[in-house]
Amino acid sequence: MHDKGDFLNLSGAAHQEFALQRAINHEGDFLNLLKHANYPLKVEVPPETVRHGADVEIAHSTTVVAVLYRDGVMIAGDRRATAGTSVIYDRAEKVLQIDRHSALAISGSPAIAYEIARILEHSFQYFRRSQLQELSLEGKLRMLSRLIRENLSMALQGIGGVIPIFALYDLNASDDPNGGKIFFYDALGAHFENVDFATTGSGSIWIRGVLRYLSRFGETALHEMDQRQAAITILRLLDIASEYDAATSGYNAKVKIFPTVKTVTRIGVNTVSDDDLAAWYAEAQPNAEE
Amino acid sequence: MRDEPYRWIEAIQDRRDYIEDELRLGSPVVGVTYDAGMMLLTVSKGQRKIFEVHDRIALSAIGHPADIERLRMLVTDTASVQGFQNATEDINLHRLTNYTLAPAFKQAFESIAGEAYIIKMLLAELGSASGKSQFIGINFDGIVRTDPSFAVIGGTEVIETGMQKYLTAAKTDADRDLTNAFRLALETWAIGKELSSREPEETESEETQIDTTQMYEVIETAREDGQIEVGVLETAQHGTSKFRLLTSQEIEDALS
Repeated sequence: MHDKGDFLNLSGAAHQEFALQRAINHEGDFLNLLKHANYPLKVEVPPETVRHGADVEIAHSTTVVAVLYRDGVMIAGDRRATAGTSVIYDRAEKVLQIDRHSALAISGSPAIAYEIARILEHSFQYFRRSQLQELSLEGKLRMLSRLIRENLSMALQGIGGVIPIFALYDLNASDDPNGGKIFFYDALGAHFENVDFATTGSGSIWIRGVLRYLSRFGETALHEMDQRQAAITILRLLDIASEYDAATSGYNAKVKIFPTVKTVTRIGVNTVSDDDLAAWYAEAQPNAEE
Repeated sequence: MRDEPYRWIEAIQDRRDYIEDELRLGSPVVGVTYDAGMMLLTVSKGQRKIFEVHDRIALSAIGHPADIERLRMLVTDTASVQGFQNATEDINLHRLTNYTLAPAFKQAFESIAGEAYIIKMLLAELGSASGKSQFIGINFDGIVRTDPSFAVIGGTEVIETGMQKYLTAAKTDADRDLTNAFRLALETWAIGKELSSREPEETESEETQIDTTQMYEVIETAREDGQIEVGVLETAQHGTSKFRLLTSQEIEDALS
C-alpha cells in the first residue's frame, strides 16, 4: 500500500502493519516509532574513516550563549556557518524553538544538530498527542540526552559532534518566581543545569570569563537584568567573541544581519525583532561605525 | 461461510445491527466551523473524547473506548511519522482517512470471524494554503463522508439525520463567532442525545425536533455526571499546532 506517496519506500508494505502493532503497545516514544518505520536515525560511516586518539576534535565553530535574566532565559547565537576557513553562509539560525516553552542553541555539525532539533520537536508533540499530557521537564532533558548519545559514534569520528544548550521555562517551578532553566550537555549526553549562564562553541572561551565576571561582580547581576539590559549584554558578548574567533560573526552593518536572540519566558518562546536589536545594538556599541 | 453467500450477507447484517445497538447510547459529537476556525463538541463522562492528531487535525469518536484508543493511535502514529519524514504541511486528512483508517475499518467489519470495531469517527482538518477546511466522518463499515461546513456523528442514522436537520436550518453563515458556534453545536448535541434516549420504534415516527427549553434541560441533566468537552482548531493559534481544548472557564462564559 503506497499510502505515504514515498517513492523511496515503494516496496515497503509494512507501514500500516507497524502502526497497528504499535497501537497496541504504546508509550509515546517517538524514537521507537521511527525505528519501526525504518527511518535511518544513524548515518553509517565506513570504519576506515574513523579518526583515532588525540586528533579527535569536535567541530563547533560558532558562539551561542544563554543567560538567565529577570523574565526567564535569553538565548542567542551568531549567524556564521563555516567550512574550514571559508565562510559558507552568514544567515544560519543556530537558536531553534522546540516547543512553546523551550529553545535549543546548537554548536557543532549543522546537519546532525538540525536533525536532533527536529526529532526533539516531533517527539514532544508526539508524546503530547499520544499520551494526552505534556512531557515533563525531566523527560525532555532525557530525550535530548538520548539523541546526543545515539550520535556518539559520529561525534567520535570528528564529523558529527553536537554540543547544544537547552533553555526551558518551567511553568511548575512553584518555589522559584523565575522558571527559566539553562542546561548544558557534553558529547556523551550528560546534562548539567547552569544556574546563571551557559555558552558553547569555538568563540565561547573568549566570553565565558566575562560572563562569570558579570554574574559575580557586575553592576546589575545577570538574573536581575531586564530584557533590554540582557540583550545589550548578549550583543556585546557576541561582538567580543567575533573579534577573537574567526568562526563567529559580529553584527554586519552593511546588510543588517543581526544575531538570533530569543527569549524563553512564562508566555513562551519569542524572537527579539530586528528593530529592537538595531536600537539596542546602537546602545551596545555607542561608538560603532554605521 | 464463504461458500454460502446468503449466510455471509446475513452475518454482515447481524453484525451491523449489533454494532448500531452498541453505538446507540453513545454521546453524539458535533462539528461546526466559525469565523476563527472549527470546533468539535461533545459531552463526555470522565474519558476524554476529543483529541489532537496533528498540527491541523482533530479527532473525536463514539464507540468502545478500546477501539477508539487503538484507531486513534493508528492515525496519530501514521500522521506523526509522515509529518516527520516529509514536512508537517504534507499531512492531509484525505490520505489519512482513505488510505489508513477506512481500510482498517472495512477490513475489521467484514472479517466475520474476527472482532469488529465498535466505532464511528469524526475528524476535522483546518484549511491551509494547500486545502480547505473539512470534516470527514468514517462509519464502522469504512464508508467515508466529507463535509466542508458541519458534520455530526450519533449512534444511528435517525439520530444523525435529526441533528443534521437542525444544523441545516440554523444560519449557515461562516461569520458566527466562537460563542455562537458553541451554542449551535451544544443545541445540536442535545437533539442527538434526546433522540438516542428514545426507544428505537419511537424515533422512527416521532417529530425529531425539540424546543430550546427541552434542549437545555437535556444539557443540564447531562452535565450532572459529565462535562462539556470542546476542541478547537484555530488559524490564529500561536505556533504550528492549531489544536486546543477550551478551558472550563471559557465553556462557562459561553454558556452564560
